[in-house]
Amino acid sequence: MPVAVTDEVKSSWADEVELEDGSLPPPTEVRENGYKIITEYKYNEDDKKVKIVRTYKIEKRIVSKSIALRKTWSKFGESANDKPGPDPATTIVGEDVYMQFVTSKEEDNKPEDEGGIGNLKALGDKNIVKCRTCSGDHWTSKCPWKDTVLAGGKIPDADKKSSSTPTIAGEAGKTAGTSKYLPPSMRGDGSAKRTDNTSMPGGRRDDTTAIRVSNLSESTTETDLEELVKPFGPIQKLYLAKDKQTGQCKGFAYIHFKFRNDAAKAIATLNGHGYDHLILNVDWSKPPAQSNQ
Amino acid sequence: MKPLLLHGHERAITQIKYNREGDLLFSSSKDNKPNVWYSLNGERLGTFNGHQGAVWCIDVDWTTTRFLSGAGDNTLKIWDCETGKPIGNITTNSSVRACNFSYSANMAAYATDKAMGHQCEIFIIDVRNADDSIGQADPILRIPVNGSRVSSLLWGALDETLLTGHENGEITIWDLKTGKKLQTTKEHDNIINDMQMSKDCTMFITASKDHTAKLFDSENLMLLKTYKTERPVNSAAVSPILEHVVLGGGQDAMDVTTTSARVGKFDSRFFHLVFEEEFGRVKGHFGPINSVAFHPDGKSYSSGGEDGYVRIHTFDSSYFEYGFDY
Repeated sequence: MPVAVTDEVKSSWADEVELEDGSLPPPTEVRENGYKIITEYKYNEDDKKVKIVRTYKIEKRIVSKSIALRKTWSKFGESANDKPGPDPATTIVGEDVYMQFVTSKEEDNKPEDEGGIGNLKALGDKNIVKCRTCSGDHWTSKCPWKDTVLAGGKIPDADKKSSSTPTIAGEAGKTAGTSKYLPPSMRGDGSAKRTDNTSMPGGRRDDTTAIRVSNLSESTTETDLEELVKPFGPIQKLYLAKDKQTGQCKGFAYIHFKFRNDAAKAIATLNGHGYDHLILNVDWSKPPAQSNQ
Repeated sequence: MKPLLLHGHERAITQIKYNREGDLLFSSSKDNKPNVWYSLNGERLGTFNGHQGAVWCIDVDWTTTRFLSGAGDNTLKIWDCETGKPIGNITTNSSVRACNFSYSANMAAYATDKAMGHQCEIFIIDVRNADDSIGQADPILRIPVNGSRVSSLLWGALDETLLTGHENGEITIWDLKTGKKLQTTKEHDNIINDMQMSKDCTMFITASKDHTAKLFDSENLMLLKTYKTERPVNSAAVSPILEHVVLGGGQDAMDVTTTSARVGKFDSRFFHLVFEEEFGRVKGHFGPINSVAFHPDGKSYSSGGEDGYVRIHTFDSSYFEYGFDY
């Protein structure tokens, strides 16, 4: 390719102004120390004159004849009118990317770790684990007594069976081999009591004054919620479910009132209430749906 | 590495292929103009204008004189590489899903879709003197495929056999003298999207929607290696110089909008050929990768994606220095 002779060096801005009679300066091509610099002038969409400078690095490569021949082929199809060299419309130099190496060490460790957990699982509920609630050989979270009154105090295995059958408080105390004192309210089958005895203190938190509010909008905050339910009465506890990562509301909340009447009032008023473009769904908080054995 | 982005297509890339020397890179997409590029600087040499539908498959012959393309407009076209002019045009009953020149480029094979009441068929044609009359000429061989349709196709050793990958995951070797099945194996559970030969043609790698790529012996279809991923594999290629394979994939194009890009994992993934272990990834595409190809010199590779871009990556020295611990 012949090197374009370019002596039209614009010495001052005044010369350039003179050229602004509608005609554009001719494109120039300069080759110096291995680089080809092409300067073009164009009008952009706003009819402003823009100068485009493109710099190419010129590399010489020794290739086979067939490749060299193909390099001389003239362009065809949509590219028929393209100038020599890559057309910036179709060829873009991308951002730097790097190959992310997955080191073999990591790869080696991974299966081992999994294996470790797997082994633990296999051993499972046998000997390693000991329930904090009933000292049984299962995870505490899987304890059948998890949500019963037993959750409060420790009772050895032997006692577990006896307490599953309704017993008199005194008897339960006796059968407890370790003779650990149990308050009367904790004795007997807690699960049976719980559903009908509304004033059961201790054990699990009293859910009878709790209400569940759902269909809350994502942007709801605890303050919003507090303001919403405060008018109905004093609040014991307020829990708004939030996404761990985003911190946004997951759409539901639990509110523990001091008094059941207030809670009932809140349900009656708030259920179906429009809040933040959504219609709230409010009901009594139901105990977790799991069977007590 | 600074990849070169080739943006000559308006729709998803369907296949990319280097010529034998690797100086040219051919690309086809669901728009109807296959492109050819200089692989060194990404300059577009030209486009092959003439198809009316999505171009599903392309191939270029050994001497880079002729170019083959099969499309959804029920045609297979043979082009002159230098001028981009069509030489021959074969009308088929349904869209052409796979096409390949034989190694010598004396023959070409193509497979049609099972659609519009027509069954899938494999055709072997003589392309030595391809000209306008090729559309009327009878094929050398016409094999009706009764079962699952052919989704990928390769020529076997010495142009005597044909390897086909099917929609149900089967791989079949056909004897071209008799047109009979020689052997069938079913190691994949889902469609085989792509098959590519290793450099010496003793092995080939398959890419399947069943989330795996597998390496087979091309003589007896023995399963050699399995590369497992957690997403459909659309294309796989074997490095000509190192014991590496590259896998490109991602979830189906139809599922892209319903899953986040983070989950999408549109990276090219590099596995060790022998140990079947992943050792590297290259990010870049905004959609699933539909086709990958190694440069014949093994020093660069390209990928074409659902996003319509072809990316030419020239490996850094770190890639060649990377040693595999074992």
